[in-house]
Order: sequence, then C-alpha cells, then structure tokens
Amino acid sequence: MDLSPIWLTLKLAGVTTALLFIVGVPFAWWLSGGRSFFKIIVEAIITMPLVLPPSVLGFYLLLAFSPQHGLGKWLHDSFDVQLVFSFPGLVLASVIYSMPFMIGPVKSALQQLPAVLAEASYTLGKSRWQTFKSVLLPNIKPSLLTAIVLSFAHTLGEFGVVLMIGGNIPGVTRVASIAVYDAVEKMDYASANNYSLILFSITFVMVIAVFVFNKYQAKSPLG
Amino acid sequence: MVHLPSFAQNVRVAAAANLQSVIDVLQKDFKKKTGISIEPVVGSSGKLVAQISNGAPFDVFLSADMSFPETLYKGGFAAKQPVVYASGSLIICSSQNIGFENWERLLLTARIKKIAIANPAIAPYGKATEEVLKYKGILDEVKFKTVYGESISQVNTYITTGVVDVGFTTQSLVKDAGSKTDLYYKVIAPKYYKPILQGMVLLKHGVNNPGAERFYQYILSPAAKSIFASYGYRIQ
Repeated sequence: MDLSPIWLTLKLAGVTTALLFIVGVPFAWWLSGGRSFFKIIVEAIITMPLVLPPSVLGFYLLLAFSPQHGLGKWLHDSFDVQLVFSFPGLVLASVIYSMPFMIGPVKSALQQLPAVLAEASYTLGKSRWQTFKSVLLPNIKPSLLTAIVLSFAHTLGEFGVVLMIGGNIPGVTRVASIAVYDAVEKMDYASANNYSLILFSITFVMVIAVFVFNKYQAKSPLG
Repeated sequence: MVHLPSFAQNVRVAAAANLQSVIDVLQKDFKKKTGISIEPVVGSSGKLVAQISNGAPFDVFLSADMSFPETLYKGGFAAKQPVVYASGSLIICSSQNIGFENWERLLLTARIKKIAIANPAIAPYGKATEEVLKYKGILDEVKFKTVYGESISQVNTYITTGVVDVGFTTQSLVKDAGSKTDLYYKVIAPKYYKPILQGMVLLKHGVNNPGAERFYQYILSPAAKSIFASYGYRIQ
C-alpha cells in the first residue's frame, strides 16, 4: 500500500497545528479581553468555517488563488507563488478551516480564569507578556491540549476544501481523505479500508488521549 | 371515486460527468416529444457505478466508457447488454489564447505551469489524455505540472476559472461554457487515443418503468444522435 497520503496528511496537520498555535493563541488572548463590536465581528468571521459548507470555502479559495485575477494574480506576478494545487495552499486553507478549533477552547479558558490571577501578577511587576506566558498559559494547559488535538484532528478530517483546491497530486496534495475517496471511486475497497482504518485509529487514540489527560488534570489542585 | 390522470413515471438517469451540458438538451427534447420528465444525476461514471451496485434507484445509466456498463451487466444490475450511444472527442482547452498549433511543444515550456487532466484511473477522458501524452512522448515530462480532476467536470471548472493554464477535456465543454466564457481549444486527432466509446444500459430498476425504455430508445434515435453530434460527439 502507498503510505504517502498518510504521511502527507500528518505533515499537513502538523504544520497547520503549529502555525495555528503560534497565531491562534495570542489571537485568542486578544479576543478574550474586553468586548467591542469589532471583536465580535472578528470572532464571527473566525468561527464561520465551523458552520459553512467546505465547498463554499473551497470555491472562494479556488477563485482567490487563481493566477488569472485578484490575490492569486498578485502573488503569481510579484512572488511567482501559486497557491492553488500546492502544499502551501493546502496549509493556508487548513489554517482557515481549523482556526475555530484552536481559538475557541483557548479563548473560553482564558475568559474563565479569575481576574485576580493576572492582577496579582501585574502587582508583582510582571509585564503583560510575562503574565500571559508564565501565569495564564500554564493555568489553561488542558484547554491548550484540547485545542491542539482538535485542530490536528480536524485537519486530518479535511476533505471538501482539499477536493476543490488540491488537484489530487500524489505526494503534494493527495491527502488520506482524498485517497479514500479515490479508492472508492476505483472500487478498490481494500485500499479504501486500509486508509480509513489508519485514520480511524489515529483519531481515536488522539481523542482518548485528550479525555484521559483532561481527567487527570481535573484532579490537580489548580483544576 | 376520484379519477386521477395517469402521469407517466419520471425516469432517473445516471449520466457521466462529460454529459453535463448535453443532458439538459436531451432532457428538454425528450420531454417535448414524449411528455416524460427525466431526473438526471450527473457524476463520474465510477461513482455512479458504485452507487448503482449498492442499490441506487436509477433507471438508465449513460457511462463515459464501455467497461463500467459491462461491470453492471455482469453484476446483474442491468437488464440488457450495454450499447454504444456516442463516442467522445478529446480537446486541449484554455481560458487564454495561447495558440495550440504546436501544443505538445508548448506544454513543455515554462509558460505552462499547470495542466488539468481527469483522473486516468477512474475517468475515460483522463485515460485517453494519458494515451495521447504517451504517444507524443511527453507524459513523463509534464507529470510534475499535472493536476487531476476527480471527474471531467472538475477539469472543466479548473479550465474555466483559469486556475490551470490548459486542460484536456470533452469537446462538449466548449459548446456549452463557450457562450459564457472565452475558451480556446483544439480538437485532438482521434488517431492518438483509443476511441472513447460511451455505453448505455437499461438498469433492472428501470425495467418496470415504461418511460425508461422509451428514453433508452430515444438516446439511440436520430434525434438524440444529432444533438450528440452538435456537442462534438462522434456518432456511428
């Protein structure tokens, strides 16, 4: 069996999750503080991929990435970058697609922390960044783990968007979910079953790991 | 007692993706001639066959090749042996006027970054494209530029939205989409690929539906053949 779709899927999920962690956690922090109409709009946009059909996202990304006009043309002409049918394009799409899974849990966890925690840290002369890094984040570890695992797992499960903008290129954009679809179309049910079973096992283990970890964390004094 | 007018039953037709545009015309013409409505479901032949073998309630299947209808017949899903209703015509097509006089050379240049073809493992037009590229001796050289559509419809999307520079598709695309977008194309000479014989079967599900049999006969009639011919299909 050709394992490259599995590796590609894991790579896509890994890169996407890492990027989302770097971008998403500070972003969630910003969203968690204060309320303004602007923040509500931003949060709504970030949450949209949760409810939008992947085909809608795929269709707009296909248009946006097209080297014939708009953003795609600018990227193509200025930097010779073509996002459609490429791995970086899939990463960008996945970041958008899985964003709510990173931001959501982290934001709610930060909002539920008692305000005194940050205030005490400021009183002791710590900066906003130090407080965030050394006081707030360590206190929301279970939520961080949930966010990371969900983002990773959700990217593994990505299908509709990749089907529209991927182009099914072996080793570049043929991820496992597409390989399953392909195998079914070919009526090669044995391969479809192999890929499916691997995806099933990986996601099952990940979800179990989160449950076990969160249960253990709940017993800790800070929980 | 209420007397109900006897409406003919609708006919569900599973149609290969390359028939996307021509099926609408056939549907209207058939309705005009017989008053019977068709419900077409268009998709890649492979997917439709998988659905039919798992009990999808289709009456007639119009495939993009002969092997899929053959599979259904052997599996006991079809009432009759497959018949050829048309053969497909392959074109090279682009949304830009790039000049196709010497297209095999053009594909090798840096000017062409992405080439769309239908997945050769499941789509007959994709298989024909590979045969052409192999015959021209450039199959391996253009592989890194190739993107695969899950069906010929997706290849058409890639061409018309301009995300690829060129694509290999069915000639019926230009008849239909050509009116909405500017498309430039060249017909690939049939000697470079095995004929894309497209087969039809009357499915078991359609046996008790008189409309299904009439549609089956209609597809083989001169009226339907001339519609197919106007969309670039070759007719025996």
